[in-house]
Amino acid sequence: METIISILITLVASVVFAVVAAVLGCLLSGIDRKITARMQGRVGPPLLQPYYDVRKLLAKDTVAVNTTMNTYLICALIFTCIAGGIFFSGGNFLMCVFVVTLSELLFVIAAYSARSPYSEVGAHRETLQVMAYEPMVILLAVGFFMATGSFNVSTVLHMDMPIVGTLIGIFIGLLFILTIKLRKSPFDLSYSHHAHQELVKGVTTEMPGKMLAKVEIMHWLESVLFMAWIAIFFVWANPICIPIVIVAVALIYFLEIWIDNNFARVKWQALLKSAWLVTLVAAGINLAVLTYL
Amino acid sequence: MSYVSKSPWIIHYDGSSCNGCDIEVLAALTPLYDVERFGIINTGNPKHADIFLITGGINERNISVVQEIYNQMIEPKVVIACGVCACTAGIFKDCYNIIGGVDQAIPVDVYAPGCAIRPEAIIDAVVEGLGILEEKAKKLEAEKKGA
Amino acid sequence: MEMIGFLILFPLIVAALLMVVRHNTARNVIVIGGTIAIAVVSVALVVMNLGTAGQYYYFQSEIVNYACMAIGVIIGVTIIAYGIKYRNVWAVILAIIQMGGSLVFEFVFAHDVTCTRGLYLDSLSLIMTLIIGVIGSGICVYAIGYMHDFYFGFHDSQEDNPKDRRPTFFALMFVFLSAMFGIVFFNNLVWLFTAWEVTTICSFLLIGFTKTEEAITNSFRQIIMNLVGGIAFLAALYYLVIEFNCIDFMDFIVFGTIAPALVVLPLTCFSLAGMTKAAQMPFHTWLLGAMVAPTPTSALLHSSTMVKAGVFLLVKCAPIYAVSFAPSILVILVGGLTFLLCSCMAISQSNGKRVLAYSTIGNLGLITACAGVGTAEAIWAAIFLVIFHAIAKSLLFLCVGTAEHHIASRNIEDMDLLFEKMPHLARLMILGIMIMFIAPFGMLIAKWATLVSFVDTKQFVLLLILAFGSAATFMFWAKWMGKLSGVAHTEENIERTVHLTEWISLGTFSFLCIASCALIPVISDFFVEPYIGSVLGISIQPVLDDNLYLASIMTIFMVIVMAAIGRVRSKRVKQVPVYLSGVSVDNGKRIYSNSLSQPQEATARNWYLEEYFGEAKWSPVGTIATYLLLGLAFIYAIMSFVGIGLM
Repeated sequence: METIISILITLVASVVFAVVAAVLGCLLSGIDRKITARMQGRVGPPLLQPYYDVRKLLAKDTVAVNTTMNTYLICALIFTCIAGGIFFSGGNFLMCVFVVTLSELLFVIAAYSARSPYSEVGAHRETLQVMAYEPMVILLAVGFFMATGSFNVSTVLHMDMPIVGTLIGIFIGLLFILTIKLRKSPFDLSYSHHAHQELVKGVTTEMPGKMLAKVEIMHWLESVLFMAWIAIFFVWANPICIPIVIVAVALIYFLEIWIDNNFARVKWQALLKSAWLVTLVAAGINLAVLTYL
Repeated sequence: MSYVSKSPWIIHYDGSSCNGCDIEVLAALTPLYDVERFGIINTGNPKHADIFLITGGINERNISVVQEIYNQMIEPKVVIACGVCACTAGIFKDCYNIIGGVDQAIPVDVYAPGCAIRPEAIIDAVVEGLGILEEKAKKLEAEKKGA
Repeated sequence: MEMIGFLILFPLIVAALLMVVRHNTARNVIVIGGTIAIAVVSVALVVMNLGTAGQYYYFQSEIVNYACMAIGVIIGVTIIAYGIKYRNVWAVILAIIQMGGSLVFEFVFAHDVTCTRGLYLDSLSLIMTLIIGVIGSGICVYAIGYMHDFYFGFHDSQEDNPKDRRPTFFALMFVFLSAMFGIVFFNNLVWLFTAWEVTTICSFLLIGFTKTEEAITNSFRQIIMNLVGGIAFLAALYYLVIEFNCIDFMDFIVFGTIAPALVVLPLTCFSLAGMTKAAQMPFHTWLLGAMVAPTPTSALLHSSTMVKAGVFLLVKCAPIYAVSFAPSILVILVGGLTFLLCSCMAISQSNGKRVLAYSTIGNLGLITACAGVGTAEAIWAAIFLVIFHAIAKSLLFLCVGTAEHHIASRNIEDMDLLFEKMPHLARLMILGIMIMFIAPFGMLIAKWATLVSFVDTKQFVLLLILAFGSAATFMFWAKWMGKLSGVAHTEENIERTVHLTEWISLGTFSFLCIASCALIPVISDFFVEPYIGSVLGISIQPVLDDNLYLASIMTIFMVIVMAAIGRVRSKRVKQVPVYLSGVSVDNGKRIYSNSLSQPQEATARNWYLEEYFGEAKWSPVGTIATYLLLGLAFIYAIMSFVGIGLM
């Protein structure tokens, strides 16, 4: 019975997450474009431009290159919602990480299924990106367990200190791969929001109209979820943490935009090497300290 | 006003232009003119684009390419011929390989003359195109309901 | 006990019959009848003993003792004969050492040592029984159709070929099943050793089955490595008999758990034996070479059962590893390194069977590492890894085998568009792949438990290894799955010629895959926890039921989606061609007009990252490192042995 209730809570949380995070993610994306424009000395689009974009994409005609791609994308979107639901209902962090990976896989497979040369190249790069950041994501969950004694996200609410204190190395590693996860330059190999792409539009080349709208929404949800991963580093059992979390998340999102605007895209070799090296050094040392000291 | 006119994404194709108009198209994206203010984004992918911006005339080699790109764009869509060459083939009209303006290959919705076309004119043409885009979107909507 | 006897002896009878019967239909009937009997009895045995905490049967038999001795001699003579025929000195030398050693052992040392509890049965044996009895049988059924195509091709119905050695093939498969049952039921270590050697020789004969030069070379590589393991096993037996007068497996484990310092040497020897059979580095090359064998062999011996005998031994010894020092470190590090390096090397492979082989070795490495950790959670994880690996990997092997016969290649690049050419097969393959590497499917849940156990025991190195190894795993499975999933609406369906027997086993395995993934909490309650409870006295489930059931729901959802995907075509959706820069000639075939106005096909090959994950780069590193570890472990073991002697 308890099991059923806990699963129902997760599912309800997923639905709530889908709605709330979509709104927040949309605003986040709008702020991103606005700040980016200002950094480039432009006025930039309205704050709600991402919302307009998606509404327009949804109004486009329904076309597809094959019968499977849309299904993969719907599943990817659903699993992103569930990952969020697991996280925000205080569930198992590792489970959340795994479900995010599943939705990532479905996204890659959707691109592969088109069998277009461009989307296939995008899919290859996306797979490589997952390989580059996956160790860090797993070690993030491990570090979380070591710091709190549980994989349950809700335990941070009972901590005496924010876990960023003990997990500083992991935090740095997470910041590094966050750039990959948010598809920001210099690590926007497979797909990015910038205007021109040398490989058409990477993963999304064959995802027109309504499908692209799903990808956009998924991206909003993911952004919110990843920022929440950042946020748990600053949470502890004290209401004072709320403003701190907000400031920290805002600063880090700003940092990501700044990086996005100041670095040119790197080759995949540099992506893989740097991501694994940072993971090994930052997370490795942090975990070693936690294990042996 | 529907959302389609708030986020017109563009694909730009260079027919047999002298590159004068192309540079002006790109200039429109720079901070000085900043077309992203209107939600305009230059995509490289016909499947994502709403507006097809063509510079230069149509010749024997590129007519099929222009038609294919046009066909791969998703409805509703609008074509804008940028510069006098795209409108009528301009100075190249009598060349042996030139067929004519863009309307020789695909239906054109907005003609924006100029040699080279000024960025302001491009923005004007896009705004003009938005009205047509709007109409087409409504028609598509009606068709869907009818079907 | 009668049922155990049946499971061990009945396959032998079937094997003898199959050697005699030369008629095809008769053989097929015998194979199907035999496998059904084995599967039914296995399931019945499991149902009747569900949740058992371990039962021991008082069973002694001089006949069995002499039979074991005779089998040992037959094995030795066979290997020596083959060794002389193909001029392989090492095989001959090792076979002589082993045969001589075991005869001396029998007559001089172990003659008076008795083991009253000859047979046993606990929940781990039950799990293995299901794996051997159901999956093993399923593979034998599959082999009927496969071996026909192997000799005649699927388009040819002619049934006459002088080189047709199917009788030998099927007989060996059944002998092998019998030996596997022996391994999981024998408590008498001498009998266990005999069954162990039978699996080695079956594998040797099946790898060399085609008698091509490559097959012979690879089969000798297998036999040499496994003889080393066999000799290590024998050395452990010598030690146990001379020091403790004991050939009772259970006594050894209990004693070892109480006094780990006294069993360092035999435990190290058992570790070596288990690791050679489980193809851990530096012995992994034999399993790669074994891929020349017909696919049912690869599925049965080299993924789902024989290699599992190796990890079975290690998992059995897990409680001792938990309290011992050097052997535990040896097993953990060798297993961990093998997992990491083989997962990485799998990225660089384009041959489907070779990818499967590397993934098998890698997963066995993870199981080995879990056994080395030896806590309740680690054993839980190890057993689930065994279960899911056995089911999913055999499904994958069989899918690759069928695909190979129909597209005439086992290269992953050639599996492009398989989703259209063989829609059912491709879906099953995708199912198998997803189980191997992605949540919410089984393997990942087991890996999750692995992670929990490593975190709990603070295995810092293993945690890093698991994180990076899992990332590599994602890469090579995802790109394979991507290759399979392409849909261009251009290809004809070519899977109508697949044999019914093949579909039956593929269907059964897929069903098992889905059922086992969806029923993890149930399997945990009825099989895994009773076993852990019986050996450690505690039972822990590293992953909470809530999460397991959530995973089950997601699994079922994904399975339904994958079964339905692409079958329904909505009329509202307009079909459009892919983007080829506006210069397409034939979109379905990705042909475009190049800069010389010539039609050219756009091809996309997957990334193999040779430069980073190539075999040439990592294989020597792993081999040297693991040899060093083995060397150090044995030096430590011998020193501790000398130390005990001095005291």
